[in-house]
Amino acid sequence: MPPPWSNERASDKDRSNLAVNPQGPPFLEMRGIVKRFPGVLANNGVTLAVGHGEIHALLGENGAGKSTLMQILYGFHQRDAGDILIEGRPARIESPKQAIALGIGMVHQEFMLVHSMTVVENAVLGLNLSIRRLLDLKRAAAALQALSDRHGLAVDPHAVVGHLPVGAQQRVEIIKLLYRDVRLLILDEPTAVLTPQEKDGLFAVLRRLARDGRSVVIVTHKLHEIMEVADRVTVMRDGRVAASVRTSETSPRGLARLMVGRDVALRADKQAVARGPAVLRVENLAARDAAGETRLHGLSLDLHAGEILGIAGVDGNGQAQLAQALMQLCPVTSGRVWIGGQDVTRLSPAGRRAAGMAYVPADRRHVGSVAELSMIDNAALGTQARRARAGGLIRDEGADRGFAKALAARFSVRAAHLGQPAGTLSGGNLQKLVLGREMMREPAILIVEQPTRGLDAGAVEAVWGELLAARAGGMAVLLISADLEEILNLADRIAVMSGGRIAGTLPAAHASAERLGLMMAGAPAPDAQPLAAVEASA
Amino acid sequence: MGAGHWLGSAFLATWLAASVRLSGPVLLAALGEIFAERSGVLNVGIEGTILLGALASYLAAYASGDVWLALLAGAAGGVLSGVLLAWMYVTIRASQVVAGIVFNVLAVGLAGTLYRLALGASAAPQTVAMFEPLRFPLLSGLPVLGPVLFSHAAPLYLAFALVPAAHFVLFRTGFGLALRAAGENPKAADNAGISVARMRYAGTLISGTAAGMSGGYVVLAEVGLFRETIVSGQGFIALAIVILGRWRPWTAALAAVAFGAADALQLSLQLFGAGLPPQLLLSLPYVLTILAISGLFGRSAAQPAALMQPYAPR
Repeated sequence: MPPPWSNERASDKDRSNLAVNPQGPPFLEMRGIVKRFPGVLANNGVTLAVGHGEIHALLGENGAGKSTLMQILYGFHQRDAGDILIEGRPARIESPKQAIALGIGMVHQEFMLVHSMTVVENAVLGLNLSIRRLLDLKRAAAALQALSDRHGLAVDPHAVVGHLPVGAQQRVEIIKLLYRDVRLLILDEPTAVLTPQEKDGLFAVLRRLARDGRSVVIVTHKLHEIMEVADRVTVMRDGRVAASVRTSETSPRGLARLMVGRDVALRADKQAVARGPAVLRVENLAARDAAGETRLHGLSLDLHAGEILGIAGVDGNGQAQLAQALMQLCPVTSGRVWIGGQDVTRLSPAGRRAAGMAYVPADRRHVGSVAELSMIDNAALGTQARRARAGGLIRDEGADRGFAKALAARFSVRAAHLGQPAGTLSGGNLQKLVLGREMMREPAILIVEQPTRGLDAGAVEAVWGELLAARAGGMAVLLISADLEEILNLADRIAVMSGGRIAGTLPAAHASAERLGLMMAGAPAPDAQPLAAVEASA
Repeated sequence: MGAGHWLGSAFLATWLAASVRLSGPVLLAALGEIFAERSGVLNVGIEGTILLGALASYLAAYASGDVWLALLAGAAGGVLSGVLLAWMYVTIRASQVVAGIVFNVLAVGLAGTLYRLALGASAAPQTVAMFEPLRFPLLSGLPVLGPVLFSHAAPLYLAFALVPAAHFVLFRTGFGLALRAAGENPKAADNAGISVARMRYAGTLISGTAAGMSGGYVVLAEVGLFRETIVSGQGFIALAIVILGRWRPWTAALAAVAFGAADALQLSLQLFGAGLPPQLLLSLPYVLTILAISGLFGRSAAQPAALMQPYAPR
C-alpha cells in the first residue's frame, strides 16, 4: 500500500488565497540583519518576510549568506544589527531553545536523530530532563500518531530510527518539530538525500503544513524545486538580498541570473564523440566499508574510452565504496578489475595509478588535498618523482613551481599566490586544482566523485567543461554523482546504484529524472536493459 | 580434606557463597561505569577511584569505628576523584583512555603517600571495624541456599538493590534518556537543548561515587586492611563486566556474578587443594577481562555510538 502522502500532490498549486490575513503582520519579519565574521560580512542588511501558510524558498550560492541568516533565526548566531519580529512583536533569539519556544524549528541537512532510539524517544528528548519526572512514552506516542495521521507523515512512533530509510527519518525530524508545535519550519537543503519520488512526498507534506497555516522556509539552490513548491523566493547574493519575488512571476532562468549576477548556461554543451574500446572492466566487485559492513554486492561494469558513464543513486548506496574499491582504498572481498587488458585486481593504489587510473574524491578538502600544504605541493603530489633530480632523490622545486603554474593557468585556478595553503582556496578553486592535477597526468580512466557538490554556478560550469573536454580527448570518465541534473547533462550512459548493486543501466537518451528515480528507490525499471544489450544498441 | 572430595557439597556451598560475595564490589563499580559509558565517557579511572575510595573508607573506619560512615567516606572519595576525572574528560576534552590511566597511576602514589602520612611510616597494618554478615531468621539456616544467598554483609544487598534502580533511572526517566542521548549522538542531544557536558559530568560522577563505594566495600566487608595493592584490577574487571553486560544493569549483574565465580573458584580450589598451580587459577578473572576488553568477540552494536568521543558544542 502506498503511504498516504504519495498519491496526494496534483491538486493544489494555487494556494494564494489561503488562511493568510492580508491585514495582519506576517509570521516572521527579519529587517536589516547584519552579521560580521572575522574578515567577512556575511549578512549585509538582509530583509526577509514569511507569511502565515507560506512556503518560502531562500536561494543563493554557497557563501551568499543564507545559512548565516537561518542560523541567526534559529539562535545559533547572534546578529550584529537588525530586528526580528514574530507576528509583529520584536523577538530575542539567543539559543535554539528560545527559537523553538517562539515557534521556530529547523530540520538540519544532517539529521539530529539518535539512531538507537525509537521515534517517540527522539521526539521527547530534551523536553523533560528531571530524574524525578518519569517518561510517559505511551502518551507521547499517541500524540505523535495523531500528528502523523493529521499531516500524512506515515511515521510509526515505535520504530527504531536507525532502521528507517532516509526519507522517513526526515519526516521524523518534521514530526519532532510539530510535537513542539513549531509554527515555522526551516528546512536546509531538504531534497539532497531524497529520490525524486521521496521529494514529491516531502513536498506534499509541506503543502499540507502550509494549508494548516504553518510557514515553511526551504534553503536550497535547486531552481526547479523552488518553482515547484514555493510561493515566494528570496534570492541572496554576497550577503545581500538580490530580489524577493513570487514564483509565479519568475522563471528558473531569471532566478539563476539573480543568484549569480549574470546569465548562466543551465545545460552543458555536449558534442557527439565516437566511443572507443572498453578500457575498464569490472566483474563482480564486492567491498566493505571501514566499519566492516558490506556495501558493494557483486557489481560489474564496463567503461569505454571517450564516454562518460554516470553512476546515479541516492547517497549511501555504495557509490563511495565503488570509487574506493576501484582504487583499492577499501577492503575488497571479491571481484576482478581490468585496465585495458591488464588484470589489476591485485595492484595497490599506486599500481593502479601507474596503470592509468585517476581519482578525484568527493571530499576534496580532506582526501583530495593536504590543506596545510601549498598549492605547489598539492599540484605536485603524485607526480613529484617525474620532475625530481638525482635519480628521484632530490625534489626539483623550480620544476614543481612551473608545473603548478601551468596547472593553475590551464584550469584557471584563482589564488593570491602559488605558495598559498590549499586549504584556504575556495571550494571551486580547490576542486579545479585537484581535478587539474589528476587530468595533467593524462590518465586513461578518470573517476570523479560528486565533482560539483557545494560549488557555485560558475565553478560548476568550469568543472563540467573540463569533464566534457576530457571525454572529447578520449578519456574514459566514471562520473559518480547524487545530482541527477549533472548526470543527465554529462553522461552518455547512466547506471543507477541501489543497495550496493547496479539496479539498471540506460543510455542517457532514454533516461529521465522520473525513470531514474524509480530505479534509485530500488524498483526494477520495467524495461531497464542489461548492460550487454545497451552496448549492442549503442 | 583430601583432593578427591573437592566437588562435594561443602565445596559447592563455599564456592557459590564466595561467588556472590566477590561479585559485590565489581558489580557496584560496573553499575556506575554503565552511567559513565552511556553518557559517552569511558571512565578508565575507576581503578584508581576504587583505590582512593578504599583508602577513604579505611581511614574513616580507623578514626571513627563506624562502618556506615566509612562507606560514605568511600563514596565521598569517589566523588572527589570523579570531579577531577570529569574535568579532564569533559572540560579539558583529554583523551579519555590516557587521562584515565594517568589518573590510576596518580591514585596509587597518592594513596600510598596519604596512608603513610596518616598512620606513620613504620606502623604495622591495623585492621578496622568491618560489616558483619546479616543473619536472616530461618533463611540463613537453609543448606547451601543459606550460605549462598542469606549470609552476606549489608553492602552486597545494597549493590544488588541498585540493579533495578539503575535500570529504572536509565530507561524510565527523562534524565536517563538525556544521558543516553549524550552518549549516542551528542550533537542531536545538544540540538534538543540537553547540555552534553552536564550529562557527562553526571555520568562520570555517578561512576566515581559507585567506584568509591566499591573500594569501601573491599575494605569494610572483605579485607579490613588497607594496602596499595588491595584493588588489584577490579576496576578493569568492572570495565569488562560493562562490555559483557551490553551496557545494561541486569545483564551486568549476571556478568558480575560470573566474574565473582571465576575469582571464587580459584580461592576455593586453593583451599580444597585441587592440585592445580595457584598462579594459573589466580589469573582466571584477568584472562576473562582481557578477552572481554580486547574486542575479540567483535564490537557490540550495544556500545554507545559516541563512546570516547569528546564533544565540543559548535
